[in-house]
Amino acid sequence: MSASSIGAIGVIALFAMLFLRVPVWIALTLVGFVGNAIMSGLAPTFALAGTVPFDVGSAYTLSVVPLFVLMGEVASETGLSSDLFKAAKVMLAGVRGGLAVGALAASACFGAVCGSSVATAATMTRIALPEMRKAGYDAGLASGSLAAGGSLGILIPPSIILVIYAAIAEQSVPRLFAAGLVPGLALTGLYMMVAVAVANWRKSYAPASDGLPWRVRLAAIKGPWQFLALFVITIGGIYAGVFSPTEAASIGAFGAIVIGFAGRRLSISHLLRSIENTVAICGVLFVIVFGANLFSFFMVQTQLPSLLAQGAHALNLSGPAVMALIIVAYIVFGCFLEGIGMVLITVPVFLPLVKQFGYDPVWFGVIVVIVVEVGLIHPPVGLNLFVIQAHAPDIKITSIYRGIVPFLLAPLVLIVLMFLFPQIALWLPRALYG
Amino acid sequence: MNRDLALGLLERLRVAQLRLAAVALIVMMCVTVVDVFLRYVFNSPIRASYDLVEAMMVLFVFNGMSTAFLQRRNIVIDLVDSIAARGAVQFLIRLSDLLTIFALGLFIYAMFTPALQSYGYGERKLELGLPIWILWAVALIGIAGAALCALAAFLLPAISRRDEPLE
Repeated sequence: MSASSIGAIGVIALFAMLFLRVPVWIALTLVGFVGNAIMSGLAPTFALAGTVPFDVGSAYTLSVVPLFVLMGEVASETGLSSDLFKAAKVMLAGVRGGLAVGALAASACFGAVCGSSVATAATMTRIALPEMRKAGYDAGLASGSLAAGGSLGILIPPSIILVIYAAIAEQSVPRLFAAGLVPGLALTGLYMMVAVAVANWRKSYAPASDGLPWRVRLAAIKGPWQFLALFVITIGGIYAGVFSPTEAASIGAFGAIVIGFAGRRLSISHLLRSIENTVAICGVLFVIVFGANLFSFFMVQTQLPSLLAQGAHALNLSGPAVMALIIVAYIVFGCFLEGIGMVLITVPVFLPLVKQFGYDPVWFGVIVVIVVEVGLIHPPVGLNLFVIQAHAPDIKITSIYRGIVPFLLAPLVLIVLMFLFPQIALWLPRALYG
Repeated sequence: MNRDLALGLLERLRVAQLRLAAVALIVMMCVTVVDVFLRYVFNSPIRASYDLVEAMMVLFVFNGMSTAFLQRRNIVIDLVDSIAARGAVQFLIRLSDLLTIFALGLFIYAMFTPALQSYGYGERKLELGLPIWILWAVALIGIAGAALCALAAFLLPAISRRDEPLE
């Protein structure tokens, strides 16, 4: 049997195990282990399985993951999100759909610090949904904007998925963080345009509110200054080359704790809960990275990605056609795979193919995160949709599905724009790092 | 030893490992913050901060897993829950519990040889001077604790997400 056939069987076995409810890390580990054993024998496979966990578990570069998760957990506990929404609401007073746009802006800002889509969607739902409903907003528009806004947390840096992608694709974290910023802001803008368009198309969906003087609006920006300081110091520090990602994450986490205590928004019990959540989240993440490394070694040995590339060349498929197929595959996988698991399973297979067609791995990393975002919000299984319904059980899931549909256009438009203008993602990293 | 006593002891083990991981996380954060502060303010960084962060990572990663295993927090694709009979789902959860113990056992067995080699070669962290075999020992003890917590999960009822109350 050829190496590529073994690789294909391995991928099928992986998906079969995932469908049979085997945890993602075990499916990756077992397929990776058995596959490597078939390809290169038992002794080298045991050597690999012995060193991978220690190499991953002692990697300085991966220390950025728990530290940024801690920063996000503490930020969630301190209620910074509430200040952000209040400021956005005042700034956009008088604009039809202003509360939905404000929720999107606050989600983008909060997601930037938090780094988790689900946490952003849950937090902003608690804060913004009651206000939107009180103002007479349609449940679909309100929940759609919150679900879409929540997904921004994984694209705007710091993004845990981008760190994981960097580890598996051997790319620079600062470069990926720089690449994620402009598309993240562009996606926020596109989501806002969708919210305004829906609000103006169906005026009953978003009753107009009274405007406020500019003096009041500008004063409102002062509210979330702590958030702005945290973002500028951490992400600005990375972009400026002042801090490494680990240093920025440490300072961000420390800063969030100090801001929390100084503003009396954080208690010791809140902090302990944040730390406990961080440990539990990272416990889940790191075992997946162990398994993904084994699986990745297996994929390299099988040369399955090369076979896929040869197949694409044989079919005379162009680069954009191959990328379009990959994106469709990601959207389909997004129906049943969780974001980080999806990245770790698919990147070892797709990235070599993408490179062969001349695409930049940093650009591809951003594309992957955008399609993971789509997976988080597309019906029927987008996780953010269920998060919102869990917080507002009286809203029917069908209303949430209806509400999210127009927002799905935004990431698809962004993907098309990124194909046409790759500089959207690549300009900033090139300007900063050459 | 009865089942409840065993579960109680394993829960204590999980909490102990969680606390160790929490301490490692805080140390990692504080060391880095102090290092940056001393570097930029006094031009005098902490010499072994890099090694210390790596050492704390080992403590954090290998002790942080136990909670995920005991509380079955690992990511699963639970599509089958909505189509399969409850008994079948419980069987799959049990199967996953067994595979978890097997996979962790596989890692523990595989990690012994490089750990012994590290001890034999007398490798040390460059700046901290810490023998690397100590970190291997920490990793092995941590992952063994995680395996015991996975065993505890096997003793617990097999509950799928649809059996849990909505948050």
